[in-house]
Amino acid sequence: MGDELIREVEQFLYREARLLDERRFHEWLELFTDDVRYWMVTRSNLYPRSSKAIAILNPGRNVDEDANDDGLAILDETKKTLEGRVARLETGMAWAEDPPSRTRHLIANVEVAPGATPSELGAYSNFIVYRSRSETEQDYYVGTRRDTLRRVAGALRISSRKITLDQNVLVAKNISIFF
Amino acid sequence: MTAETNRLVDSDNGLVSRRIFIEPEIYQQELERIFARCWLFLCHESQIPQPGDFLTTYMGEDPVLVMRDNAGQARAFLNVCRHRGNRLCRADTGNAASFTCAYHGWTYRNDGRLVGVPYLKEFYRGELNRENWGLVPVAQLDGYKGLLFATFDPQAPPLREYLGEMAWYLDTFFDRREGGIEVVGTHKWVMPCNWKFPAENFGGDSYHVQWTHLSAIQTAFSTGVATKPNSTGSMVSPGNGHILICVGPNDVGDPPVPEILAYEQEIRPEVEQRLGARAKLINPIVGTMFPNFSMLRATSRSFRVWHPRGPDKTEVWSWIFADKAAPPHVKEAIRLAGVRGFSPSGTFEQDDMDNWQECTRTCRGVVSRRMALNTQMGLGHERFDEDLGASASDLRISESNHRQFYRRWARLMAAESWAEV
Repeated sequence: MGDELIREVEQFLYREARLLDERRFHEWLELFTDDVRYWMVTRSNLYPRSSKAIAILNPGRNVDEDANDDGLAILDETKKTLEGRVARLETGMAWAEDPPSRTRHLIANVEVAPGATPSELGAYSNFIVYRSRSETEQDYYVGTRRDTLRRVAGALRISSRKITLDQNVLVAKNISIFF
Repeated sequence: MTAETNRLVDSDNGLVSRRIFIEPEIYQQELERIFARCWLFLCHESQIPQPGDFLTTYMGEDPVLVMRDNAGQARAFLNVCRHRGNRLCRADTGNAASFTCAYHGWTYRNDGRLVGVPYLKEFYRGELNRENWGLVPVAQLDGYKGLLFATFDPQAPPLREYLGEMAWYLDTFFDRREGGIEVVGTHKWVMPCNWKFPAENFGGDSYHVQWTHLSAIQTAFSTGVATKPNSTGSMVSPGNGHILICVGPNDVGDPPVPEILAYEQEIRPEVEQRLGARAKLINPIVGTMFPNFSMLRATSRSFRVWHPRGPDKTEVWSWIFADKAAPPHVKEAIRLAGVRGFSPSGTFEQDDMDNWQECTRTCRGVVSRRMALNTQMGLGHERFDEDLGASASDLRISESNHRQFYRRWARLMAAESWAEV
């Protein structure tokens, strides 16, 4: 991966983060392809196979800790449902965002990798999202993202995003913001 | 405290003291008299299908290990080592023949027996009788249509008696087709509110839908059945504090997804046949089995436990479910509708939590706390309906179920034992 391309991807992700923090959701939506899968999963506690804390009866039934891809997502969205979520925020009656969250997206550990096809790229990034709301409400959302970026008419667009949130029992009361 | 708690709820006049949502002494009494006494939901059988399968959960604030032993018998124990009280199993789910405590290495079989104590001969000199130190079992464990429940109280009435007529209403969620339901996945999160706010809301608050959830209805995340002026239905309480929101038999509350709507059309005759004549009178869409097990068929397909975590905190464990006999594309559509409607990110659910949080938090003020809550809507306009086997409101929107819920709450809180309930 050339330096120029890496810089382009980084700047793309930073700009995306700024659009979210500035609540410019329509401009943010334009960064996704129409066929995007936008997906957030959490993590569970499963014993590793080497654990001495349990005597495993049936090893085939102890799946790997990180294998919750097929489990229940917290978000599993299409472009259309993301647009629906933004439209909901604009009704003036989306109470979880009234007053709105104040967010700061910190994006780090950006890595760029070849994609499955010549027109695609893989991008890994970690995030810390700080959310402050109302009077003293505060939440930290920390995790990682695995994006597929596609070049559409010369510009980078996100065609797939898998967000892994590093929590088991989510300690925030809701996910009313975007990542 | 006993006579006192009785005075905190005046269901005859639709008044509820706000002290019951914030005061630590009342919360402690709830743990004793509600959660250590009632039948509580553990899991669905499909979550532990094979010998050795286990999951960890809670009954009230007590950690519980639910498992299927090597012989295939479902069992539930306190998830607490008998030696120093360490939490024994720290995994959410898995499959195991035995569990070893991380502190000193005491080991228990998946039927609860203590089978391993390091240096039993050398340090205990063989003087510890392992048979006396097995895991502490729940007092009663029973299943209904694939749902496993337990109580810590040996005097509690049998599960079927505790459910009473609620059993049929559970069927309308969990036994609509041959094979019952299966669980699609779990969401767990923490809500900063008292557990009774979500419990009463799911069991009886149709009124909030037209305002709290209007944004999600306007943007097509729901059919908004409860807000349609031509909807029919009733608030239904089959007794023992169990409460349900029901719409009319022809009112459609299903997730507004073509695959799901078509599926519901297709199976309707079969479901009516299975559930019997009452299914032609009423369509239960949301409900709470007292005290903290709620279920939902409108907009999403979800059932959940509101685990109490202090007077001002609730941990929600929620599962999306589908008829086991449903085709894969319908199950997938149900999974997505659940994630998008009722989950931490749910376009419906997120607006609820904010309200319950503030309803709880304002109870901290000593003056605010003196103000009784109003559950008077439709007071005196409910009656026992023979066909429904339940007390029912005459209008589709009423707070009759709130009054039933809190009446039961007060009765349990005042009673010294089940004999007095």
